[in-house]
Amino acid sequence: MNLLILAGALLAYGGLAASGLSIDRHYADIHGRGKEPAPRLRRRYRSAGWLGIVLSLAACVAARGWHTGPVLWCGLLTAAAIALALLFQYRPALAPRLAWAGAMASVLLVALHALA
Amino acid sequence: MREGLRQSMAWLHTWSGLLVCWVLLLIFMAGTSAYYRDEITLWMKPELHASAAATASLPPAAIAAQTVAVLQERAPKATAWYIGLPNERNPVVQASWTLPPKKGMSMAERRAAFRKQNVTLDPASGLEVPQARDTRGGEFLYRMHFDLYYMSAIWGRWIVGICAMFMLVAIISGVITHKRIFKDFFTFRPKKGQRSWLDAHNATAVLALPFHLMITYTGIVTLMFMYMGAPTQALYKGDQQAMFAEVFPDNERVKPAKVAAPLADLGPMLAQAQARWGQPVARIVVNQPNDANATVQLVRPSGQQLSNIEPSMTFSGVTGALIASTAEPSGVSSMRRAFYGLHVAHFADTVLRALFFLCGLAGCAMVATGALLWGVKERQKYAKVVAKGGRVGFGVRLVDALNIGAIAGLPIAFGVYFWSNRLLPLAFENRAAMEANCFFMAWGAAMLLAQIQPSRAMWRFQLIVGALLLAGVPLLNVFTTDTHLGATLFGPAGLRPVAAFDLVVCALGALLGYAAWWLKRKEQKAAGKRAEPAPSSTLVQKEAA
Repeated sequence: MNLLILAGALLAYGGLAASGLSIDRHYADIHGRGKEPAPRLRRRYRSAGWLGIVLSLAACVAARGWHTGPVLWCGLLTAAAIALALLFQYRPALAPRLAWAGAMASVLLVALHALA
Repeated sequence: MREGLRQSMAWLHTWSGLLVCWVLLLIFMAGTSAYYRDEITLWMKPELHASAAATASLPPAAIAAQTVAVLQERAPKATAWYIGLPNERNPVVQASWTLPPKKGMSMAERRAAFRKQNVTLDPASGLEVPQARDTRGGEFLYRMHFDLYYMSAIWGRWIVGICAMFMLVAIISGVITHKRIFKDFFTFRPKKGQRSWLDAHNATAVLALPFHLMITYTGIVTLMFMYMGAPTQALYKGDQQAMFAEVFPDNERVKPAKVAAPLADLGPMLAQAQARWGQPVARIVVNQPNDANATVQLVRPSGQQLSNIEPSMTFSGVTGALIASTAEPSGVSSMRRAFYGLHVAHFADTVLRALFFLCGLAGCAMVATGALLWGVKERQKYAKVVAKGGRVGFGVRLVDALNIGAIAGLPIAFGVYFWSNRLLPLAFENRAAMEANCFFMAWGAAMLLAQIQPSRAMWRFQLIVGALLLAGVPLLNVFTTDTHLGATLFGPAGLRPVAAFDLVVCALGALLGYAAWWLKRKEQKAAGKRAEPAPSSTLVQKEAA
């Protein structure tokens, strides 16, 4: 149960981080002033972002059901977004790395949950 | 003058927010803390900590039997008994009762009497715990969240409701007026003056927007029967009791038969309910105990559903036979229950509760930064006057002072409330009321000092006082109880709520301390700049000209 919630949190963060990277300001913070993501890359960021956010909802609902699952999802999105806003300002390079690590870990966590 | 939608919404946002922001901050802080009202109450009753530390607990049936035995002795003629079985947030057994109302008793007197009609039992031995100190604990903060204090609950609720409606207007107009809501979604740029305050206000508002919208709207819903009296007037000819009886059939009063009959054993009923729900019962209500019409209502723990009214099973108190289970409420009624449930979040487990708390803190920060932002913006209009040694306008001064008194003063009030709980003599008369008075005396003093001298130094002073009071709470606990952090963190699990209280309050104190330090550094930097005439300042003057 709690493995799924952790996976949901990591997916929410990963999804929001990908969406954030599609925004010029945050992309430039990481890749240098004035840099913009190429149109294809931007589309990819956006799709990955939505995918992460939707998968996060799925994990929350799987963990807590349709009643409180979506509430949990909103809370996790808020917490992840606050963390991301701080990271983008103070440690921008770390933001995408953590997103990757989180995505990998969430796969692992879901697998562990399925096995348990 | 032609104004666009955004400009007019900006105006609405500014004024609907500013007018109520200081009361809103109180409501937000009290409400946020109320998510942990059980934990706060446990912390404020150190006499219960020994029972909380018990590692083993009797089975529910034995606890129920012990509690009934105590209640039979204490209140055999009660109209109802309420028994709360232990859970992870509240590790002791709590029982209370209501007596038939005496004639000529006012509502307030009845409430005051009810507060004294309770006992606490140790879950391991089933024995009565010596009466804990007289305190309202987290209940005071919870009530203040919607009743305020020093006024009748009705007045308090109207004021809180009006503030909530202003808040709803401020949220909606704020979203409309926020031009770059998506582009600036994750943006926070510190050290840029007004820009940074706006970023912080936007971030705390937008990132927790689902919570802010939900909590404001559902907050109004919780008191909707008060704010929207017209339907009751039209359909029930103003008879609110008749309406409540129909809308909340569960709460229907059981009338006594006035014929004595022994109460049946609760054990088999508890077993039946546990078998049906797959989890132990949370609460027991015995209506008209020792009467032929007695009923026993067993309430399921809230968990997987949003509704604020948990499903229950009702048994005959004499034969022990199942009479009724909660009926499925109608669509509209379940909607209201879900809204109400979302607001009070009884369903929240550890993670979700922490997230609600975090969102509540974001709400406090949103209100505080919004109030500060008005002062920062307005002050700029006086930049030239102040540079020539003049003064800012009355409005700016007033808002500055109220900001200090609310944003830095309220944490002081909370701190003093917790300290008074430990330091007031146990035999103090009306101790619980005195603790509340301490809260408001501290807040009043902070407000008054802020009005006398609304300056940077006052900001720093009040922030430091608040920081010391809150961060000192774990230390206070060391000297006034046996359950210090060493015992609560590494001891039995029942004491974890006490440890969590110490740590969270200490962390909030550290945050205030950081704010005071940050102000000091900013002042030093400003002083350094003034000392050496920097070329940049002349540049600014040229630009301004």
